[in-house]
Amino acid sequence: MRVISEKHDRKVRPAPSGPVTRAERSASVRPAANGHGVCLISVPNISCGACVARIERALIDCPGVVAARANLTLRQVRVTLTDANTDPSPGYEALAALGYTARPLDPSDTEPASAQQDGPDLLRCIAVAGFGAMNVMLLSVAVWSGAEATTRDTFHLISALIAVPVVAYAGQPFFRSALVVLRGGRLNMDVPIALAVLLALALSLSELLQGGDHVFFDAAVTLLFFLLTGRYLDQLMRDRARSAVTGLARLSPKGAMARGPDGSLEWIALHAVAKGMILHIDAGERVPVDVRILHGDTDLDRSLVTGEAMPVAASPGTELEAGTLNLTGGIEVEVLRPVAESFLAEMMRMLSAAETSRSTYVRIADRAARLYAPVVHLLAVATFAGWLLVTGDWQVSAFVAISVLIITCPCALGLAVPVAQVVAAGRLMRSGILMKDGSALERLAQIDRAVFDKTGTLTTGTPMVTSCFEGEAEQREASKALAMQSRHPAAQAIAAHLPEVACEVADAVEVPGFGVEGRVHGRRARLGRARWVAEIAANPQAATGPAFAFEGAPALSFDLSETLRPGAVDTISDMQSSGIPVTMLSGDDAARVAQVAETLGIAEAHHGMTPARKVGVLEDLRDRGHRALMVGDGLNDTAALAAAHVSMAPSTAADAGRTAADFVFLRDGLDAVATAQDVARATARVVRQNFGLAIAYNCIAIPLAVAGLVTPLIAALAMSASSILVIGNSLRLNGKRAAAPLQSVERGPVAIPA
Amino acid sequence: MMSNLTRAERANAMVIAGTGAFIGLVMAAAGRGDPMGAHGWIVLAFCGALFFVVGSAYEDPEPTQDRTASYYDDPTKVGILIALFWAVVGMGMGVWVASQLAWPDLRFDAAWSSFGRIRPVHTSGVIFGFGGNALIATSFHIMQRTCRARMPDQVTPWFVLLGFNLFCIVASSGYLMGVTQSKEYAEPEWYADLWLVVVWVVYFVLYIRTLARRNEPHIYVANWYYLAFILVVAVLHIVNNLAVPASLTGAKSYSAFAGVQDAMTQWWYGHNAVAFFLTSGFLGMLYYFLPKRAERPIYSYRLSILSFWGITFFYIWAGSHHLHYTALPHWVQTLGMTFSVMLLVPSWASAGNALMTLNGAWHKVRDDATLRFMMVAAVFYGLSTFEGSFMAIRPVNGLSHYTDWTVGHVHAGAMGWVALISFGSIYALAPVLWRRETIYSWKAVEWHFWLALAGTVIYVFAMWNSGITQGLMWRTYTESGTLAYSFTDTLVAMHPYYVARTFGGLLFLIGACIGAWNVVMTIRRMPSETPERDYPTSSESREPALPAAE
Amino acid sequence: MTILTLLIPVTLVMGAVGLGAFFWSLHSGQYEDLSGDAERILFDEDDKPLAAYPPGHSGTTKEKTP
Ligand code: HEM
Ligand code: HEM
Repeated sequence: MRVISEKHDRKVRPAPSGPVTRAERSASVRPAANGHGVCLISVPNISCGACVARIERALIDCPGVVAARANLTLRQVRVTLTDANTDPSPGYEALAALGYTARPLDPSDTEPASAQQDGPDLLRCIAVAGFGAMNVMLLSVAVWSGAEATTRDTFHLISALIAVPVVAYAGQPFFRSALVVLRGGRLNMDVPIALAVLLALALSLSELLQGGDHVFFDAAVTLLFFLLTGRYLDQLMRDRARSAVTGLARLSPKGAMARGPDGSLEWIALHAVAKGMILHIDAGERVPVDVRILHGDTDLDRSLVTGEAMPVAASPGTELEAGTLNLTGGIEVEVLRPVAESFLAEMMRMLSAAETSRSTYVRIADRAARLYAPVVHLLAVATFAGWLLVTGDWQVSAFVAISVLIITCPCALGLAVPVAQVVAAGRLMRSGILMKDGSALERLAQIDRAVFDKTGTLTTGTPMVTSCFEGEAEQREASKALAMQSRHPAAQAIAAHLPEVACEVADAVEVPGFGVEGRVHGRRARLGRARWVAEIAANPQAATGPAFAFEGAPALSFDLSETLRPGAVDTISDMQSSGIPVTMLSGDDAARVAQVAETLGIAEAHHGMTPARKVGVLEDLRDRGHRALMVGDGLNDTAALAAAHVSMAPSTAADAGRTAADFVFLRDGLDAVATAQDVARATARVVRQNFGLAIAYNCIAIPLAVAGLVTPLIAALAMSASSILVIGNSLRLNGKRAAAPLQSVERGPVAIPA
Repeated sequence: MMSNLTRAERANAMVIAGTGAFIGLVMAAAGRGDPMGAHGWIVLAFCGALFFVVGSAYEDPEPTQDRTASYYDDPTKVGILIALFWAVVGMGMGVWVASQLAWPDLRFDAAWSSFGRIRPVHTSGVIFGFGGNALIATSFHIMQRTCRARMPDQVTPWFVLLGFNLFCIVASSGYLMGVTQSKEYAEPEWYADLWLVVVWVVYFVLYIRTLARRNEPHIYVANWYYLAFILVVAVLHIVNNLAVPASLTGAKSYSAFAGVQDAMTQWWYGHNAVAFFLTSGFLGMLYYFLPKRAERPIYSYRLSILSFWGITFFYIWAGSHHLHYTALPHWVQTLGMTFSVMLLVPSWASAGNALMTLNGAWHKVRDDATLRFMMVAAVFYGLSTFEGSFMAIRPVNGLSHYTDWTVGHVHAGAMGWVALISFGSIYALAPVLWRRETIYSWKAVEWHFWLALAGTVIYVFAMWNSGITQGLMWRTYTESGTLAYSFTDTLVAMHPYYVARTFGGLLFLIGACIGAWNVVMTIRRMPSETPERDYPTSSESREPALPAAE
Repeated sequence: MTILTLLIPVTLVMGAVGLGAFFWSLHSGQYEDLSGDAERILFDEDDKPLAAYPPGHSGTTKEKTP
């Protein structure tokens, strides 16, 4: 296997799903309240503060830009433009010039998910509960350490004055949720929480009025504080999972140019496009519905269907699916099917079906809660009944029953899962892997199958020149000069391969689907498809790869090939040796798929897969009881990513694909898959230990509570101690050193003609 | 420096200075025969000098450039120089105080030079004079840089800086005349306290106004620490200094509280002064200059925000650990003890955060003494907070209280943390402010570092030994149940440690002098070539900025 | 300990001010990009204020030209 020495360079890698059109960019600008326009740009390869500074500086120098702010956490840039009609393209170009991949983001997508939830925001609740807990704790410590008589009563009173409003405000998330399930006649973890907090408060108030010496204000408030913290961490983990359907929907243009009977062009909205209409699609636009070409030649980006970023040539008669990107030439097309039946609409239906079926996954914490809540209630009721029978004093019985509720309140239980997941997420983040949903870690720990996409996942998806003709310097200079004229990936690969020269091209034209032609040093020259080049060459033998020739001179060819992602070989063989069979799915043709499968030692490889068949394979696996990990990057993988038990995508993946995946890895190496799996397993272990700790705590605390031995001091101590134990145990996940991302560029070129 | 002020601003400054001078005159007249009269003359001289300085430059040309295109650094520059001046004075006093304890004759039989009078000159000189000016100067710098905006006007910062120094001068001159409220770290009398309230409120408003003008949407965490320092110190100062003057024409006043209530208020104040004067603001310094100098972001920014709230809350109630085994109710002591122990968590979070930031840049720490100042400061911060939490436990305090162990703890914090972080920040700041490539002599920084470190270690170890020896001797009984040692016996035992402490302090003082010289030389050295930064202000950056207050 | 009738309210008020400050900081989006904000202070080589940004908008603006 030859190793190419050329250093990997982000800058030459084109965005995987083709260039973003100007129209798409402009459409992403939203008017802001003060007359300015705002657009959000997703820049997945912002990686440090220097990037932030560089990006902002470059953007503010662009015409029309008033302000720019890069967000390192979300890897986004927010650009403020003079007004909503300003063209944001210069900004995109500036980003591209710096080597950043930039795609427009719809501001409506990025609204925080919590906006839908009514009631105060969790963080505010935590702040209020924290403030209350601290102050009530302070007063309690004073009472425990011996403040007596009036001082004690005053402190109890102040505690009440703090605790009541705090509970009323910060308890809302629990009260609301408990009300909702109770109305539905069910139980969840929030019911005992809400009950415990409210009863503790009520009991303390009645004690206060009677001048008694046991009040639980501190327990009520600290309980809220800990539980809210757990809930907040949990929300952090959940929030980021958005529906990928919107991502796909944005690929569809909002309308199209229709050719009227009189030959005039008119813009019509998408829903008005009907079967049989004639549309005109310009270079750089997406095809809105399924169509057949009537006139014109062009190159297409069909990555939505095949996952292959390499443009394919198209000529009259070719059928195009909705969502295909028209790259080089304007075409006239006939509409084959109405919008609702288009390929893209079909994909979106598939995707939302896949997302629904996955959402039936029940998280560990919820499974635990289903068991726990009834047990706690029964226990409290039994305690009350028992004490009433023995003592006959209902007041004492109520006191003890409530202490049981308070002390069994699932504080540690509520923290057990989210804390571990947050720590794990931080750990993953440091090794360049973003996680979008906490439950993904649980699911990743369970996999027994792995399914990989080929192009862009196992391979880098970018062609590279593996061998170049031996001709004279002049020919290479001319090739480079012609290659620079085109944005075609093959041309860019050739341009990147050849050294920089100063060489003028005259009369350059790009012939869609064929190549570039122009005059260099006064001679006509072509660079492009071998057959087309051979037309002017002296030796009309057609090679497979792209070729170059001066008119009348022999044609000379390039070899292009895909390269493997670093770490691909090791990752696949490790997975297989650890008992996880690997399958490869690709939209590519049989020869190339077989080649890659052989190199990587994958036994089961499917070629020519459409998005629907990919989903089919995954559903089949699920039906046979397997839990599959899907790793893919293309638009055509989106539905499959959503259908898998758990999924991963590289950061270079299409927008919709990144949204559909549970994990996105920012580094180049495929070893990220193994890292994520290790962390997931470790997290699962820690979560089990945490549950063990929480249960052990209950086993000690419940008998004490049932026996009526729980004073407020013991309740508060027990609660904090168990929570701190759980947090401490989870922090151990940080301890293990994260594997350093693969640095070496281990890429075996697979000799595949591109 | 005056050329940065418009004529209207000069006029404002003259009005303020004139009013001050008038007040000084009134005080001098009303307080004839009382130390207040002497203070009147001091105020008059200070304000009069300012009036004269501004007035003589009144007709100078006005600034021509757009001043909002640059930061306003003149007050920062002057503040740094004043801080260094106070460092030398305050630490010099410290060495003198230490020498008096070893060789009591060094009092020279004068009233003003007695231990009881020069000790507060030392404490106020280092805490307020050195620490306070360093805090004010760095806060001016940091708030403008992190907000990416200039301060809202040019007179207010001068008012804050010079007003604060007037307070310091009145305070320390008062001690020498025997003026004191007898509250540690709050010794100055009522009129000085009132003046400080005015200055402090203006400072707070100035800070908020700058924040409101910020062009960088995010408020960097250092600003929160500075704001907490300003706001809480204001509240503490006001509550603790509630007092009724015995007469409006004299320096004597009586506290609004009595007995144990007064003690509780004093230590509620005292400990929070440690928290918000000697910790919070300096943490702000740490969180800005350490990442800047190490050229890496703080290890966990989130943690720095969390520990801010933790420190802010836990400190508030820790004060009663200063009153263990006193008439204070037992439960109040326990409360203070509990919170002091819990305080360790956010404190170590900060120290750990600072050290983790350096993790991976140890080669820089090895090569760069300035960064080493900051690193060692963080270590001492961790050390002294651990020691503090330990000493706050009642039985431990039973041994340490009233002994030199407390003094050892104080100086591990004050010298090891407060002074080292300030020196580190000043070394990081000076070249930036005066537009020099580097500090004048890196070798001198290296010398200063080792002198300071050696001085601190000698000081702290001497006091630990002395304190524990002392504590143990005090509680040793003979078989018949009487005390085994007389008080004089303990003094004899402590003498060698006092000599060692004086020596350690002397090393530290020499280091501070070298530092001051190094900064002055940095300013005076003409840059050999034009530095790449262009000059931000129209101020004559090449000319040494001389402190106006001295 | 009658003094506590003064100290406790004072402390509570300070706590409430802190809480208010925290609410404000949440509301004004201070915590949206912590990792970026930690880095930002490191990149101001030019050491000059920025031009005021358009009202209601946040973002890095052009540098002031003197
Ligand atoms: C040159 C170095 C220093 C020397 C020689 C020195 C010496 C002394 C001495 C002899 C005392 C009196 C101890 C006693 O009453 O038994 C003292 C007290 C004190 N010094 Fe220093 N000091 C130095 C630096 C500092 C610095 C830099 C700070 C603060 C930033 C500081 C803050 C204090 C405080 C707060 C006290 C009062 C301690 C208490 O009441 O327990 N000192 N110092
Ligand atoms: C967790 C943090 C800290 C705790 C719990 C703590 C605790 C204590 C305790 C128990 C004492 C002795 C009180 C006595 O016996 O009279 C004390 C004294 C003192 N501490 Fe700390 N300390 C802490 C951090 C610091 C720091 C960082 C400084 C910084 C400079 C500092 C400065 C002082 C001063 C000046 C005194 C002497 C007060 C006096 O004049 O008596 N402390 N501290």
